[in-house]
Amino acid sequence: MTDDYEHFEAVVVGAGPGGAAAAATLAEAGVETLVLERGVDAGSKNVSGGLIYAEESAPYTIDSIFDGFREEAAERPISEYYIHNLAGEKVKTFDLSDIHHHDTEWCDAVLRRQMDSWLAERVHEKCRDTGGGLLTEVRVNGLLREEGEIVGVTCDEIDPITADVIIAADGVNSELARDAGLMDWEEPDEWFQGVKAVVDMDPGAVNDRFGVESDDGVAHLFSGDLFQGVRGGGFLYTNEDSLSIGTVFHLDSLTEEEAEPHELLDSLLTHPLLDQWLDGEYHEREYSAKLVPDSKKAANPSPHQGRLLLVGDAAGQMQAQGPIIKGMNHAVTAGGLAAEAFAEAKSRGNPDSAGDLYEKKLVDEGVMAKLRPQRYRMTRTLSESDLVTKVAGGVLDSAVGRAGVKLFDGAIERAFNSPFLLGMIPDTRTSYVTVPRVVGEVLGERIDAENTIEPPELDDRIGDLTYDVGDPHIELVDNSFAASGAAVAACPVSAKDFGGGCYREETVKTNGSEEKVVSLDTQPCVECGTCAVVADTEWEHPAGGKGVEFKDG
Amino acid sequence: MVSVDPTEHEIAELGPKIKDVEDLDELEEMLELEEGGEDRDPVKTLIEGRIEKLSADDEEPDPSEADLTELTVADIANLVRGIEDVDVLEDILERERDGKERKSAISQIENRIEDLTQDDDGEAAEVEYVPPEEKYPELDHPTSEKRWVEGTVDGDYRDMWVYCETQQGELIDASKEILGKASELMAGYNEEYDEDEAVVAVLIGEDVSELAEEAVAYGADRVVYQEDERLERFRHKPYTEIFCSMCRDSDFEWRDYHEPRYTVFPATNNGRDLSALVQAELDSGLASDCSDLYIDSATISNPAKTGTPGDNKVFERVLHMPRPDFSGFEYSTILCIDKPHRDFHPQGASVIPGTFDLPDPDPEREGEIVEHELELSEEWFHVEVTDYDQLEGGVDLTGNEVVVALGRGIGEDPTKGMELGLELADAFEEADLGLSRGVITASYQFDGHVEDYVAEERQIGESGQVVEPDLYIAAGISGAVQHKVGMDESDTIVAINTDPDADIRGFSDYYIEGDLFEVLPRLTEALKEGEFSRAVAEVSDD
Ligand SMILES: Cc1cc2nc3c(=O)[nH]c(=O)nc-3n(C[C@H](O)[C@H](O)[C@H](O)COP(=O)(O)OP(=O)(O)OC[C@H]3O[C@@H](n4cnc5c(N)ncnc54)[C@H](O)[C@@H]3O)c2cc1C
Ligand SMILES: Cc1cc2nc3c(=O)[nH]c(=O)nc-3n(C[C@H](O)[C@H](O)[C@H](O)COP(=O)(O)OP(=O)(O)OC[C@H]3O[C@@H](n4cnc5c(N)ncnc54)[C@H](O)[C@@H]3O)c2cc1C
Ligand code: SF4
Repeated sequence: MTDDYEHFEAVVVGAGPGGAAAAATLAEAGVETLVLERGVDAGSKNVSGGLIYAEESAPYTIDSIFDGFREEAAERPISEYYIHNLAGEKVKTFDLSDIHHHDTEWCDAVLRRQMDSWLAERVHEKCRDTGGGLLTEVRVNGLLREEGEIVGVTCDEIDPITADVIIAADGVNSELARDAGLMDWEEPDEWFQGVKAVVDMDPGAVNDRFGVESDDGVAHLFSGDLFQGVRGGGFLYTNEDSLSIGTVFHLDSLTEEEAEPHELLDSLLTHPLLDQWLDGEYHEREYSAKLVPDSKKAANPSPHQGRLLLVGDAAGQMQAQGPIIKGMNHAVTAGGLAAEAFAEAKSRGNPDSAGDLYEKKLVDEGVMAKLRPQRYRMTRTLSESDLVTKVAGGVLDSAVGRAGVKLFDGAIERAFNSPFLLGMIPDTRTSYVTVPRVVGEVLGERIDAENTIEPPELDDRIGDLTYDVGDPHIELVDNSFAASGAAVAACPVSAKDFGGGCYREETVKTNGSEEKVVSLDTQPCVECGTCAVVADTEWEHPAGGKGVEFKDG
Repeated sequence: MVSVDPTEHEIAELGPKIKDVEDLDELEEMLELEEGGEDRDPVKTLIEGRIEKLSADDEEPDPSEADLTELTVADIANLVRGIEDVDVLEDILERERDGKERKSAISQIENRIEDLTQDDDGEAAEVEYVPPEEKYPELDHPTSEKRWVEGTVDGDYRDMWVYCETQQGELIDASKEILGKASELMAGYNEEYDEDEAVVAVLIGEDVSELAEEAVAYGADRVVYQEDERLERFRHKPYTEIFCSMCRDSDFEWRDYHEPRYTVFPATNNGRDLSALVQAELDSGLASDCSDLYIDSATISNPAKTGTPGDNKVFERVLHMPRPDFSGFEYSTILCIDKPHRDFHPQGASVIPGTFDLPDPDPEREGEIVEHELELSEEWFHVEVTDYDQLEGGVDLTGNEVVVALGRGIGEDPTKGMELGLELADAFEEADLGLSRGVITASYQFDGHVEDYVAEERQIGESGQVVEPDLYIAAGISGAVQHKVGMDESDTIVAINTDPDADIRGFSDYYIEGDLFEVLPRLTEALKEGEFSRAVAEVSDD
């Protein structure tokens, strides 16, 4: 039966950095490769904060696979890196350039639409030479199985396709990983939610206000008390003629605090510290959001099953190294290794061993050690317990703790700059909120500025996005507030008392009794994946070419 | 000595370098170096792969001795590509004929021989024409029996014929789109080639003569129609017979040619069905589901078309028919070109609806309308339509003088809100009820008597209907931009909202700050008393 289907040696699902790296490496090895991407264009669905690293220790980097990447697909190189600890109107800034440059060959800011579509053109060319190519506007909707074995993929738009290897590089909320039972979308504490605004800025203004040359850029990170106690932080990266400003929060913390992601972003945008760069001007080009896996908890140590290999976010390979977010680079490495594993397995006449070989390479090349540091696993149980958090928070806030902070000023900056210590940071309020706040309070200086900008309202943000609306792709299974109410706040395009969002809180009166329920309209959905985790839904991606289309990403 | 020491290079650089190494010994040496040095698995695989490839090349069979029965057709194709000696090829050809006698293998070998001999004499001979009946005597080919096969050699062809599909007694949009495009194409054509060819619209059905003028307004120069009550629903047999008879057998004075030059059909369910049958009956080809059309010349070198190998021939007036391949992966442009001893006309296409812009009709346009009266054989109707279903037409809000639209402001008591909205609409002479998307997608529980009104077919806005009534009353609607685009061309907009900062206020003529549960009944009352405008003016806050 499956003999009738079109067959390729390799099918790669998703044309983000992971898929692009895998496909190019496969094609380079002469493997007939078909790439399927659901967006109208590669990158039209993708969001990142925007710093892509090339690590010295990594076996693959994006520019080793794609010649000319930095010149043609990236924005500014990032040579300086600061973190600002905020407490009220006070700020203490640390220079984190050491950790930023540690193991770093280079690091560039990117915008994903531009980057991914550039990569896709090259991928298509390379794959075409092998008899394959890259197809956009095709959504893979599941795995094709024969007698229980994975043999290919099924799609919304075209007939099923069989392949000797299937590389799922379909990003966070990977439907293929879920179908194979390799990842689930259950636990909010395995995810971050990232929200971002791309802000217009004249290149000359970027140079002047950030004190950089035209071919240079800078990264600023923000943590402390400006995010209503939600664990996470903010970032600002310089692009050629725009800024990427955003926030990344632990999803469990976001839902616990019932915080509104767009409001948290606004508290960063309107913070007085940002006035020096925005200078009273604000034109938002695009608002976007996406879930981000936390590799410490989510990275699957054995990300394969039969012919299916997961790479990148699909496998949870997204490393949050303290404030440094490394997802794209690991997706590239994993893509390269998965491709290499298949080519090798095939040349040894045993293509079915590709998965095991891939798993081994992830370990041998040191990728797994970065994604799931031993140190973190050992200290986690203890340091993430509520009691320890409270005690540590209490101590830090006490006179003794504060004196300590003062004494150790330099030591704290050094500690931030240690990759070893960063790998150990527990996911608690202490590290995200209390330490930065106390640092800011005790060591900080006053900011004497007023930030007068007015970020757009949520309905205008939605109105500015481009949608090709299709059938609803998310189904609310349980519309009770208890099961799905968390999404009203957590969905980045919904809010309490806002009728124009995806999730809305409603009161239904029947026979005198009142019940709080939620309703869902997927039209403004930006496909971030949040409600797949925090609400009771049947969650799928929209069909190929449908849904939101990011122009920057 | 090795030219490339793998241990001195990154993996990424090695790929291309290793590909250039031709010497097996050198590769073995490189492999040893790597094993002794960095011992990287991928590098070893690369080198081993290259070694395998080179030794495989070495093992390529000697063509004059190769056992053809062991080789696949693809192998044979590869094998003969490298052979320059015609004698060797003749020998292989003979052995294949004696052996497995695979057609495709034989043609591969023959083609190679042809290539070589042709190069030798420089000038190539014209391909000798053998009628298909003689060339393939074993085939009981239906075309050999057809009356018109031989009739359309060096025939005369003129005009672009457009099949105009109708539904419920109206031209469908796709028909209008194609007429518009056809008229544009033929205008360009007539100018370019200094001709006077026409767009001929074909109408088949019951009472279709009523649509002939409209077809002219959309771009037809002539309309040929046949009507009969038995043609009320599309049936492919009589429709095909009629279409072919019109364009091939009819004796209208102006139709002084064998067949149309071009035929175009909408790629709808019926249009696809008809296009395939008509083009087969006229013994031509069909490019289905096209996404563009243009007329241009084409330079062709295929000897099957030019008649002489090695020659390029320019074909004029070729309809270029681009269509998506493999789900839009690539586009192919289909050309339908005559060959020696057999014409491929009409050049036929079906076009995906929506491909071309819907033109504005020009009521001043003139055209000739003629009736075609083919006797319809009862046999063509032996398939009986026993039942059919009409897909729900939905609610059309566009024609109303007044639209009363409700939004999530009804949330306090959704059923009551609907009732109040309906009552107000009823009080007008010609009014209907519209809704914001916010209501349609809500979890509101409606009572049975209003529930049916809550459907997407009443949605106004970007993803719903666009209305421009004289009066638009928006109650409990915030005025999101996606709603606004569906109604802001209305003459007068009255907004009722509890929130004075609601966006809708910005594009309303009258804004009433108030609770719709109170305001709506008051408006209904005022209307019944004939004092609507005054009532609005009085309570309006703008
Ligand atoms: C706000 C934010 C900030 C971030 N900052 C950084 C940073 O500074 N540096 C960094 O390195 N990383 C950062 N990341 C993480 C980074 O974006 C991801 O780790 C990275 O994009 C993962 O790459 P990928 O190739 O695995 O998946 P993606 O880039 O997500 O690509 C997946 C692709 O698969 C396609 N796809 C999905 N499902 C299907 C389907 N069913 N059928 C067909 N195609 C499908 C998608 O359209 C997409 O093109 C950030 C993320 C966010 C949200
Ligand atoms: C891609 C896309 C396409 C869309 N397409 C459409 C579309 O085609 N049509 C459409 O309508 N929407 C569409 N939307 C949704 C649109 O953005 C809004 O969400 C929707 O129009 C809001 O509906 P609403 O005004 O009824 O609800 P809300 O925005 O919740 O507004 C309710 C209003 O009622 C007022 N109110 C509350 N109580 C009362 C009361 N008792 N009396 C009077 N006023 C009261 C409130 O002050 C508020 O202004 C689309 C969205 C997207 C993203
Ligand atoms: S509906 Fe779900 S997936 Fe869509 S934007 Fe909201 S939270 Fe994200």
